[in-house]
Amino acid sequence: MIFNWLLRKRTTLSEIVTRFSRTAFPASSTPVQQTDFLALDLELTGLNPRKDHIVSIGWVPVKAEEIVLSEARHYLICSPVSVGQSAVYHGLHDHQLANGKELSQVLTELLTDYAGFVFVAHHSQLDEQFLRIACERCFGKAPRFKFIDTMKMEWQRLLRQGKVVKHDALKLPSCLKRHNLPEMTNHHALEDAYSCALLLLSQLKLGGNKMTLSDLYLLSR
Amino acid sequence: MEVADVTQFLAQTTPFDQLNSMELAQLSAHIKVCYCQAREKVSVQPERLMIIRTGIFSLYSDQQQLLTKLQSGDFYGYQQLLTGLTDNDTLVCDEDALLYYLNAEAFHRCRYQYKNIDIFFQRLFSRRLHQYQERQQGRFTLKISDIVQQRKVTIRPEQTVQDAARQMSDSRVSSLLVEEQDKLVGIVTDRDLRHRVLAHALTASTQVGQIMTRQPHVIDRHAFLYEAVQQMSQYNIHHLPVMEQGVCYGMLSATDIMRSQQDHPVYLIGEIHRQASIDGLERCSQQLPALAITLHKQQVPAHEAGHVITTITDALTQRLIYLAQQQLGEAPCVFSWLAFGSQARMDQSLNADQDNALLLEKEPSGAVADYFCALADFVCQGLARCGIPLCPGNIMATNPELRLSLKGWSGRFARWIATPTPEALLKASIFFDLRVIDGSKGLFNALQQDILQRTSEAPLFLYHLAQAALQRTAPLGLFKNFILEQDGKHKKGLDLKKRGISLLTDLARVYALSAGINDVNTRRRLQQLATQGVIDSKDSQNIIDAFDLLAQLRWEKHLQDLQQGHDVTNLLDPMDVSGLARHQLKDGFAVINEAQSRLKHRFCRDM
Repeated sequence: MIFNWLLRKRTTLSEIVTRFSRTAFPASSTPVQQTDFLALDLELTGLNPRKDHIVSIGWVPVKAEEIVLSEARHYLICSPVSVGQSAVYHGLHDHQLANGKELSQVLTELLTDYAGFVFVAHHSQLDEQFLRIACERCFGKAPRFKFIDTMKMEWQRLLRQGKVVKHDALKLPSCLKRHNLPEMTNHHALEDAYSCALLLLSQLKLGGNKMTLSDLYLLSR
Repeated sequence: MEVADVTQFLAQTTPFDQLNSMELAQLSAHIKVCYCQAREKVSVQPERLMIIRTGIFSLYSDQQQLLTKLQSGDFYGYQQLLTGLTDNDTLVCDEDALLYYLNAEAFHRCRYQYKNIDIFFQRLFSRRLHQYQERQQGRFTLKISDIVQQRKVTIRPEQTVQDAARQMSDSRVSSLLVEEQDKLVGIVTDRDLRHRVLAHALTASTQVGQIMTRQPHVIDRHAFLYEAVQQMSQYNIHHLPVMEQGVCYGMLSATDIMRSQQDHPVYLIGEIHRQASIDGLERCSQQLPALAITLHKQQVPAHEAGHVITTITDALTQRLIYLAQQQLGEAPCVFSWLAFGSQARMDQSLNADQDNALLLEKEPSGAVADYFCALADFVCQGLARCGIPLCPGNIMATNPELRLSLKGWSGRFARWIATPTPEALLKASIFFDLRVIDGSKGLFNALQQDILQRTSEAPLFLYHLAQAALQRTAPLGLFKNFILEQDGKHKKGLDLKKRGISLLTDLARVYALSAGINDVNTRRRLQQLATQGVIDSKDSQNIIDAFDLLAQLRWEKHLQDLQQGHDVTNLLDPMDVSGLARHQLKDGFAVINEAQSRLKHRFCRDM
C-alpha cells in the first residue's frame, strides 16, 4: 500500500487519467459472466454537476458474478462548501465531512484500481456526469467511462413485459423489492452501491446465460 | 468497509451472533455474495462455506434422493471443510436466492478463534448425519401390485360349470373371472361349484352365468394389501378381482395373501421345527435370501436382522440335533451344544460360517465318544447343506478337540487365561464369545461362570487380549483418507468386518471379560459396560453408533451382493455409497481409533 502511494505521488495528476484511458475495456462481445463490474454510488449536495458537490463515494466490485466485499469502499469527501439542506437526504453533516478525504485522493484510488472495469450505477447518467466533472477539476481532464445503468435496464425489462412503468417503480428500493432482494435501510453510498450490485446480479440472471456486454450497453441506453 | 446488510444478517445468524460488531465486520470482509435463480443447479465449489441469505435450496444425494431443504440462515459446504472430502450431492435452487460465500481460510480461522463456532459446525455435521439416517426410515407396506401377477384365468358366462371345473383344475386355481366381451361380469369359485351346483343337484351342463357371483367386490391394483384383507374379512369372501383403470387385471385370493407373509421369520422358524429330514431343512433355509430382502425392505435395522438370521441358524441347529437323535438314539449323557463367534453374539451375517462345539457331562470315551462324533457330524454336515459353510479353521463340534467335558473345557480356558501368548489368543479370542444353543443350560452356565471368574482377575491375560484386539486398526490414513485393501479376487475396498466390526467386537470383549459380564452380544456388552460404569456412557453410545453404522453398511452391501447374484463379501468400495455415508464412515472409523487408544491406555499401560 505504501509503495503504491509513493508511486502515485510521483505520477503527475493527468497521468492517472491517461493510464485509466489506456487500459482497454472488455470487448463488447464478452459474456457478462466474465466481465468485471464496479457498482458505485455518489451522495451529492444537489443535482447540478456544475454547481453541486460529491459528499461521499461508495463502491463494490462484481467479479465472475460475485460481489467481492473485501474490496468494498466507502469514503466521505471533505467538501469545499456546506452540505446545507442536502443533509436531509444523505444524513451527512459538515462536521463529519471535515474529517473526510480529499476528492482527488479518492478519485486516484478509483481510477488506479478499477481501470478496465465497467461501472454500474442506478441512474448512472448523474453519477457519470459528476465523476467526469470531478476528474476535470482534480486532474485537468476526464477519461471516458463505460457505464451501465441498472435503472434503465429495469425500465427496458418492465417495458418488454408490457407493463406501464410509473416513475416511482424505477427507484432503487422499488427495484430491490420487485427482485425480492434485501431492502436497504438508509441512503448511504456503499449500501446503495451494494444494492445496485445485487440488482445487477439479479438482472444478469434474468437475462439468461447468453448475454454479452453489448446487450447491457444497449439496455442501458 | 462493511456493508450493513451483510453484517446485520450475520449478527442475527447462529453461530455468528456471538461475535461483536468489529469481529463481524472483519468476517464480512471475507464474504462474496452471489445470486441464484430458481431451478438453477448450484455448482458447489469446494473449500467455501455457503451461507444462505434468502431463498430455498434442495439438496439431493448422488442417487437423486432429496436429503434436505436449506433456507435462510442454513449452511452448506462445512462438511467438506471439516472432513476434506468432496461428495456428489447436488444443490438445486427452488426459490431465487442470495448466497454468501466464506472462503476456507476465513472459516477455519473463525473456528480456531471461537471455540463455540467450531462446536456449532461440528454438531451441525453430526446432526446432518442423523437427518440422513432418519430419512431412510419409512413404513414399508405391501401393495396388491407387489404380490399379484398379471394372470387372468377367465371363462364366459354361457360356458358350463363342467367347463369351469376343468378350467380350474387345469390352471390349478380355485376361482375364475367371468368375462363377457372383455368386461368382468362375475366370479365363480370352487366353493360355488360345491354349494350352488352339487348341493342343489344341478347338472354339469348348467351355465356358469346362472351360478356365478354377479358384481363381485373388486380392488384396485394399487391399493395396499391390508385394504384387501380388510375387505375380505368384512364381506367374508376369499377372492377379489384386481382392477386397473376399470380393466380386470387378475385375481387376489386369501391364499395369495397368506403366501406373501410366508417369508416372515416366525413362519420360517415354525416351518423349520416341523421338518422331518435334512432335505426339508435345506428347502427351508433356501428361503433365507428372500427373507433377508424382505427384512431389508421393511427397514429392519442391521442388528435386528442379524438377530433374526441367528435365530434361524439356532432353529436349524436345534432341529438337526433332534433329527440326529431320532437316528442315533438318546444321548448317552448330558451335553450342551455351544456356538462361538457371531452366532454366539447373535449378530450373524449372511456369509457367516460355522463355529460350534460340544460340552459334555463327562469325558467321552468308547461308545459315548462315538455317539457324539456321529451327532456332531450329522449336525455340522446338515448345517453345511443348509448354507452355513463348514469352518475353515475347524472350529466345529466335528473336531474331537472341541468335544470336551466341563473339566476339559475349563482346563483349556484356564491355560489361555493363566499363560497367555499373543499368537494363541489371536486364535482363541473367538472362544470367549460362547452361547448354548441346545442341550443342558446348567452345564453351560457352570462353564461360563468358571471362565468369567478367571478372566476378571487376570491382568496379564487382559493385556494380551487387548494387544490382540489392537493388532488391526481402522482403515483411516494420516490425512483422514480411506486406506483401501485388496481382497484376492475382488476389487479394492474397505473390509467392513476385519477393519471395522471385528475391531469393536474385540474391544467390547476385553472390557466385558474384565468386568465379568456374561452377555456376549456386542451391543448389550457395551450397554452393560456403561450401566456398570466400566466405560463412559457417552463413549459407549458412540461405539454402539459406530458399530450399528458399520453393521448397517455391511448388511446393505450383503443384500446388494445377494440381489446382484454376487458372492456376499465384506469389501465395500467407498465410492459406492453416498457422500454423507462416506462422512459417517470416517466418523465411525475415528470412533474406533479413539476407543482403541482408550483400550490401550486401560489395559496395556502397566505392563
